[in-house]
Amino acid sequence: MAAPAEKRGPEAAPMYESAEKIYPREIGGRFANLSRLATTVLLGLYYVVPWLTWDDRQAILFDLPARKFYLLGLILWPQDFPYLAMLLILAALSLFFFTALGGRLWCGFACPQTVWTEAFIWMEQWTEGTRSQRMKLDKAPWSLDKLRRKASKQLLWVTFSLWTGFTFVGYFTPIRQFGLDILAANVGGWTLFWSLFYSFATYGNAGYMREQVCKYMCPYARFQSAMFDKDTLIISYDAKRGEPRGGRKRSADPKALGLGDCIDCTLCVQVCPTGIDIRKGLQYECIACAACIDACDSVMDRMNYPRGLVRYTTEHAMSGESTHVLRPRIFVYATLLTILIGALITSMATRTPVILDVIRDRNALYRELPGGLIENAYTLKIINQSDHPRDFTLSVAGIPGIVLDGVEGKVTVAGGGVRALPVRARAKRDAVQGVAAITFTAVATDDERVARTEDSRFVGPMSR
Amino acid sequence: MTIAVIQEEYRGARKWSRNRQAVATVVWISFLSAAIATMLFFALFDPVELMDAFDIDIGRQGGYALGFFFFWMLSALSSGVTAWLVRTAPKRGQRRD
Repeated sequence: MAAPAEKRGPEAAPMYESAEKIYPREIGGRFANLSRLATTVLLGLYYVVPWLTWDDRQAILFDLPARKFYLLGLILWPQDFPYLAMLLILAALSLFFFTALGGRLWCGFACPQTVWTEAFIWMEQWTEGTRSQRMKLDKAPWSLDKLRRKASKQLLWVTFSLWTGFTFVGYFTPIRQFGLDILAANVGGWTLFWSLFYSFATYGNAGYMREQVCKYMCPYARFQSAMFDKDTLIISYDAKRGEPRGGRKRSADPKALGLGDCIDCTLCVQVCPTGIDIRKGLQYECIACAACIDACDSVMDRMNYPRGLVRYTTEHAMSGESTHVLRPRIFVYATLLTILIGALITSMATRTPVILDVIRDRNALYRELPGGLIENAYTLKIINQSDHPRDFTLSVAGIPGIVLDGVEGKVTVAGGGVRALPVRARAKRDAVQGVAAITFTAVATDDERVARTEDSRFVGPMSR
Repeated sequence: MTIAVIQEEYRGARKWSRNRQAVATVVWISFLSAAIATMLFFALFDPVELMDAFDIDIGRQGGYALGFFFFWMLSALSSGVTAWLVRTAPKRGQRRD
């Protein structure tokens, strides 16, 4: 959209910059291991969870076609929407809390973008080899070997993406049935569409866009600095110790040469996936992947210098002051989180697993019956939110002598089921004038605490 | 380089042009907004009941998809026009041609 106008603009930029391909190194070390672990655990959870069962059904299923969410033993309905809203607020607050405390731990180790990118890089390494092999491969003319390597990378990527898309849809529609449908080549249009959509997004984001998403497209990356203070954990280069930087022999004494501990090997820059130089200070592009820490530690080890020239630290610690973990900001976030979690748990624990919807018949205001009776028609919708069948008794109140017609005795509603009942309420003509407020009540026969009362209106003639 | 490193290439790790940044950001942020809007909207309204009112029938999942793409289109339009207006606005002190 902006392209044509921009081209005519004074600072016309070409549509595609002739970009220099960056080949960051990957380096082993403590944080690389941690990130491998995080990726394995998180991806493992993602791919395994839809296959877990609970009471002969999928344990976690956001069944959109049926408008029901199954969370282990819990069944949530559209009416339980406040829980969803609370969960979202909870997630946002947790992100604030952990950002204030630990900086961009989320970015470096838990963000789906990071995690899937990591997995895609593994596949790239298995098929195309190390950095130098890959650089050589890209420069080399097409050969059988190049074709084989590139093709097997694409095969792995595409297969993995498709499986990811399949799993994603498996959270929203029963995955076993979906799998069988695929095998039988009998897949509904939308399920197929969404699984391909998600596959494609995974392929593009983790295979090609990678850290560009963090740099240019992620709002969190831009606003996380607002949650930072001088006590937040950051990755930082110890300039006091490192400067003046410069090359030297391993045997040389840096003090005699007037040098700091940084040997200016630029390894920290080479490993950075976003291409920044951590020695220039904290930059918003830094996703806190800690690759530079691993790189620098390995160099320090070789030089027999102490580790930690680049390390996790805080601004306060860097300037020689003490770091306060417990500070007002942390208390505020923690208090809000505690209150919200408490409220969520309480409301979930005390939730009555029945919902009663009362819909007044819109076609007729009222009907006059012989014998001086007025009748109003309603549709009662009873939703049994537990996962076993239940019997309910229905009643109406609010006008002296009002009775319910159309329900004989108990009403059985299947577990997780909805039952719609057309009913009529009748009252004596002299008991009602104009509009009166009435209430309908549904009570479970096996447990009278499982009850819901809903308000409605009863309409009668204006004059007696 | 004396340090043993497992190395790899980042095909995508390049600097994006401003236009590419703008397009990607608009598409992505409007996608996120649309996801939130779809979630909120369909938590409150059942597409099947809405479709009854408009006398169309594409099924509940079709309704979700239609809603999602409608929200995506709408928010992309809004983001896109906003980005375009902000970027093409005359800057203070800039000579006009």
